[in-house]
Amino acid sequence: MRRLHVLPVVFLLTGLMIFSLAQSRFGQIKRVNAGAEIEVALPLFVQVVLAGGDRYLAASWAAVRALVTETSRMKPEDYRVLAKVQEDASWLNPAHEDNYYTAAAILPWEGQMEATQSILRRATDARPYDYQPPFYYGFYLVHFLGDGLGAAEWLRRAALRLPDPDERLLMEDLASRWIARSQDLEMAARIVDAMAAQTKRKDFAAYLHKRSQRLRDLAMLRKAANEYQLRHGKSPESLEDLRRNGFVVKIPVDPLGIGYGLNQKGLAVGLESLKK
Amino acid sequence: MLSFCLSALRSGFRSRAVLLILVLGALLVGVAFLAASFSPRQPKTVTLDVGFSGMRFSLVLFAVFWVQELVGREVERRTVLYALSYPVSRDAYVVGRFAGVVSLLAVAAALLGTLLWVSALLSGGEYEQARSVDLGWAYWATIGGFWLDAVVVAAFAVLISTLSTVQMLPVALGAMFAVAGKSLGAVLDYLERGADGDALIMARFGPLMDFIRWVIPDLSRLDWRVWPMYGLPLGEGAIANGLLLATGYVIVLMSLAVMIFRRREFF
Repeated sequence: MRRLHVLPVVFLLTGLMIFSLAQSRFGQIKRVNAGAEIEVALPLFVQVVLAGGDRYLAASWAAVRALVTETSRMKPEDYRVLAKVQEDASWLNPAHEDNYYTAAAILPWEGQMEATQSILRRATDARPYDYQPPFYYGFYLVHFLGDGLGAAEWLRRAALRLPDPDERLLMEDLASRWIARSQDLEMAARIVDAMAAQTKRKDFAAYLHKRSQRLRDLAMLRKAANEYQLRHGKSPESLEDLRRNGFVVKIPVDPLGIGYGLNQKGLAVGLESLKK
Repeated sequence: MLSFCLSALRSGFRSRAVLLILVLGALLVGVAFLAASFSPRQPKTVTLDVGFSGMRFSLVLFAVFWVQELVGREVERRTVLYALSYPVSRDAYVVGRFAGVVSLLAVAAALLGTLLWVSALLSGGEYEQARSVDLGWAYWATIGGFWLDAVVVAAFAVLISTLSTVQMLPVALGAMFAVAGKSLGAVLDYLERGADGDALIMARFGPLMDFIRWVIPDLSRLDWRVWPMYGLPLGEGAIANGLLLATGYVIVLMSLAVMIFRRREFF
């Protein structure tokens, strides 16, 4: 009988040993995917069912997920997933304001033009009183695709939604000028700054200001490279060339931490577009 | 019938139903209020959006649990026989208890609706949204829609509890019914828009969904939140037709429940 009294204690000790062995081993086993910021986009209907059949809840969830993602730690392929998440949110609730706004602020700069434009198209249809979705739609048409005519068309649609006749006129005027411009980084920076001014969240505004600073840096570098080309008759080999020859005082530090470089045509671009 | 309704109300309140509603309501309002801080541009809309979702969810939960408690458990423990030993019809019992649950749900909807209303009013602080939310008629109509949605689920749970011999079956099937009914709208919408051009999906699920929508009501038609949240028009007759859909379906379910309960043997 005495042996039976001891038995639970033996089991307890064995259990503790097994547990602590496993626990200590986990110290050396690396977690898979620990660094992933956003990796999975669930199928649409799984999202709806997980939200108890509530498509608006599914949309809110996706929009919050997109918003809290730390974009500075994301890899280029992660942006594809982010675009999918936001496109799904826009399908579930096309009128969601935060969703189209964050999508417009982040995705097109990371090469996700198609998703951005489909989100903005849906928002344009779903929010008949809101001039911003058609405005951004037009802006990205001219900025990324160089389609000034199409952009002007969308800008006129946006103008129709403005209540103030003066503002409407101003936007019509802008539309006529957009036909001529397609790669104006200064203008892009101003639009990103205007987006930052609208948000209540300071962290998001700070992020957008970094983006606009980046565009201004690139504009400055392109201008310098242009002057270099005029003076030397050839494109600079690297950004260092510009500094050595006094076209810039120093190479600006990229606020997003990615860095700048020259592409094959000698145009100053973000390093991320050179890797692609 | 009235006495069954009142006794349901009384035992609903006695079982700390109101306390439950208040605790859940406080939680819901807190979550909705916090969710607003995630929003860069539309804190009030996000509060409403999250609050509406939480409310729709809780009302359905209340519906199935109250039906289980006030009908399911009485049948299960045979205490229903005490009630039926009075000179009343079985029909009166079923309909009266259903009316009791419906009234409890109305109390819950009003309480939760008021809490959410206050928090939507306060959320966002001084930040001025480009287009604010509509907290008048549109808001209360939407709350009414959620109540109606829970009433349909309650009717389904009553039907299940009249024929079930397994405890918790009304809760489980009621919840499944609710998720199915609510998801139906999104699926139908997807198919109506051509399933992103996927012909295979259209061919496989098109006929099936056409059948299902005649069996399960499209509960997403009772969700009118785009009206208070974005001021969007709901489409002509959307509300009236929603009322009609819910009423018709509830009448069908309750008639079936009454017919089954008449024949039910308890031993």
